[in-house]
Amino acid sequence: MDNDQATFYLSQFIGKPLRIHVSDGRVFGGQMKCTDKDRNIILALTYEYRAPSAEVIRKAVEASGNPSAPVNWNSRYVGLVVIPGGHIKKIEFEESVLPGQRSGVSV
Amino acid sequence: MAEPSLRHDTRSTQDPNEIAPYDGAGASNNVSKSSSAHEKPVSLPLRQASKQPVTPQTRIHDITEKFTSACNTLDVGQLVKDEYFTLFESIGAIEIMDPKMDSGFLQPGETLEDDYDPLTPLLPEELIGIMDQLLCYEMAWHTGYPLSQTLFTSVYIDRLLWPEPKAFEQAQFYHGTFPNDTRPGTLLEVLRAYCLALIKGCDFVIAKITGRDYFEEEDFCTHTYNRVLLVHVPVDVFLRELDAAVEMIEETDVEINDGLRSAIIARLQFRKDFLLALDLDCPLDSLSNYWPPVLKHIAAITSTHQLGKTVPGSFSTKIQRRLASTVPPRPIVELDFKDAFEKLKQLCIDCEEATGFTNLPLDPLEYQSFLWTFASRSPTPLPYSRSYLSTILFHPDILNTSISLPLADVKSLVFPSSLILDPVNWTMSPPRNNLLPKPPRLQFALLIDEFVERTGQPYLDLWVALGQNRCRLRRMLTHVITSWDLLQEDATLVDADLMSAAHELGMSDDLDSPLSTWVYIKKLWMIEKVVLLGFEQDIYLPDEFAGMYYFLSLIAGKRKDALLVCVKHVKERTMQLLKANKYQDAEEVRDMGFYVDSEHKYAIGASEFSKALHHFYTILLYLRLVPSPHRPFSTEALRYELRMKPFLSLHPPEVPPFAAFQTALKPYGPYSTPNSSFYANLRTPDSPLWTDLDASLKAAKDAFARVKKHGAKKSKAGGVEQAWNKEVQGMLASCIALGVAVAGVKAAVKEGGDGAGKEVGVRVEIPAAGMGKRYAEGWVVGKVVKD
Repeated sequence: MDNDQATFYLSQFIGKPLRIHVSDGRVFGGQMKCTDKDRNIILALTYEYRAPSAEVIRKAVEASGNPSAPVNWNSRYVGLVVIPGGHIKKIEFEESVLPGQRSGVSV
Repeated sequence: MAEPSLRHDTRSTQDPNEIAPYDGAGASNNVSKSSSAHEKPVSLPLRQASKQPVTPQTRIHDITEKFTSACNTLDVGQLVKDEYFTLFESIGAIEIMDPKMDSGFLQPGETLEDDYDPLTPLLPEELIGIMDQLLCYEMAWHTGYPLSQTLFTSVYIDRLLWPEPKAFEQAQFYHGTFPNDTRPGTLLEVLRAYCLALIKGCDFVIAKITGRDYFEEEDFCTHTYNRVLLVHVPVDVFLRELDAAVEMIEETDVEINDGLRSAIIARLQFRKDFLLALDLDCPLDSLSNYWPPVLKHIAAITSTHQLGKTVPGSFSTKIQRRLASTVPPRPIVELDFKDAFEKLKQLCIDCEEATGFTNLPLDPLEYQSFLWTFASRSPTPLPYSRSYLSTILFHPDILNTSISLPLADVKSLVFPSSLILDPVNWTMSPPRNNLLPKPPRLQFALLIDEFVERTGQPYLDLWVALGQNRCRLRRMLTHVITSWDLLQEDATLVDADLMSAAHELGMSDDLDSPLSTWVYIKKLWMIEKVVLLGFEQDIYLPDEFAGMYYFLSLIAGKRKDALLVCVKHVKERTMQLLKANKYQDAEEVRDMGFYVDSEHKYAIGASEFSKALHHFYTILLYLRLVPSPHRPFSTEALRYELRMKPFLSLHPPEVPPFAAFQTALKPYGPYSTPNSSFYANLRTPDSPLWTDLDASLKAAKDAFARVKKHGAKKSKAGGVEQAWNKEVQGMLASCIALGVAVAGVKAAVKEGGDGAGKEVGVRVEIPAAGMGKRYAEGWVVGKVVKD
């Protein structure tokens, strides 16, 4: 991939919803605004999602008696954030298309 | 996360394919189905609902690798970004995983949740400690800190509000059901009632403040971080909880010593009365009954505060991690109980004072005096108290009066028993033929209506400004003045029409241009206040005092002249009415004359006193007795322009040109090298240097004495009589203080002998603002002290 292709590829995601998993296990979902060589990513209108702690899961399982009892993730609004490239573990693109419509992004 | 919604989406997307053949959003594979739908025989022209939901399908792609390699290919410094996304915006972004910025970041080994269990049984002492701590945070919030750094740091409050309770009963310190069908201990139940009432109180406070003009994050933070402060629960539910809590604690089988018991009850009673007072639906006519009980309880709280024992574990900054927050984590704000208590007391007293507004006579000038006095209270009222007053002021019952408020104001200054405002004018009907001229008296009514409507906004702007804190009041007034300047232009036009209509009737017993005179007088009053507020807030440095008091004397002088016309007019009008044997009208006009005369005398006092101060500080400048800082990067002309900036666009009054200003301020040449006549005049007590000053001072003193004689009622400040008396007394005291200071300088220069006169052997102390060292905050009289 040369620079032009890379720029084209990355600019497809501008304004599109991304989910970014960071090193401490949290997930940030927001609209991509900007990225650079170090893979720092700025997300706008971001929500932070955090897996429930082991303690909470244990309590939920105990309370329901069901080993696969559902436990909610905690989420909260955090707005505009910059995620340093070094902390990014996984990037997911959340694509939503109308039925039958072709995707405008080549992943 | 989105997984559950994904499943939901796939199912619902099938529906539109079957039932929404007309939907334009449908894609090509729908076509065959839609044609079959057409062929179905239908008996009625059924129309499809216009929009069937077409839910987009969501797919998740892992793009980590490709994204990473694409990033690697970018050049150093190259950004791939939204073209509307600016560097400036990016500065506001919070850096994730940076402990100082990211409120969700956990240090190694740190847990998200606190280990404090809000169901741990409490001691009565601890209960009191937590209640008082909550009160401290509540007051810290009132002074402007966000909830995230104050009340929302409480584990108890967090438990009650999150997850959001769907029903009131779900607002508990535990989630789900309480084990073994028991209840938390009595004291925890009591604390719960207290916390719930506190939360509802915050909800009322936010509703009241956001209902009026305020400045978010400057005055007050209304942000609730996506927590709902029990908005929909009616107030009586909370009162019932508090009553139940009092009953529980009164039960004798709860083992508490009586001192603690009554301390807890006092706190619950306080919450109840406070919540009642904060309620938004209090009827206007009984407002004043709500605050005295609150004040009664807070005395009991402070005397038992030492019984409490703090529970630091029950407050934590960690809760910020779970609040919807776009700001970095911040520490808890600690407000001392003593300070918090003072704030609370001040809040209650200010609100009680504000309820006095409901007893005012229906007179916009009384309202104005009240607003001005309230804004002048020291310490300055909290945002809540100010909103409380403006809510009363802008209450429909107050605002929708039978007479227009601006018109009542106009009437009391420039229309003494005038035919122009005769109610009969409003009963006239226009001629059937549109081409015929309207009768003059109908024209009066139409013109006045037009003017009143035009005045509405600037008039309300003035009231809104008076409801702000002092610093903002000064800044806002400068804008209000500009809008009044435009109003004056329009008033001039209306005046011309009024006069031509009056001419048709052959009337000549009115002022030449009543409306613009009124606007002008009001505008000058505002300019005076802006300058005085500048002194009050230490905007001007001591070496600028002479110049600013000079400007003030000009403005007040103009107001004095304009008012003199009104005073004369009222007198003439009274005579006319007496001659016409209209004794009742004459009496009314005479009463109205008291107000005009009092205003006139006050304007004389202000202009003469500021003239005296101007002379006084000019002399001090020549004697080098006021410090003048070294200013390498500014010139006098630029500084003058800066000070006059708010007033430069006005006409009238025109700001004097810089040259004229210089002549007035430097009658004897430059301060460093005054010409010889200065020293000669300085040592001659009957030279114009001193006689002008003494004459102004005497005139000011006489004028203020006359104002005092008129009294608060006649000066339309009857609702704030005490404060008004204090103000006038302060003016008189300032005059005396200036007299003493002048005598001090006179004596010093006499003893100073000959020579350059720089070594006069005295120094001048400028009393500090807001410390109670000035007799009137806006009138700074330097104190002459012997070295």
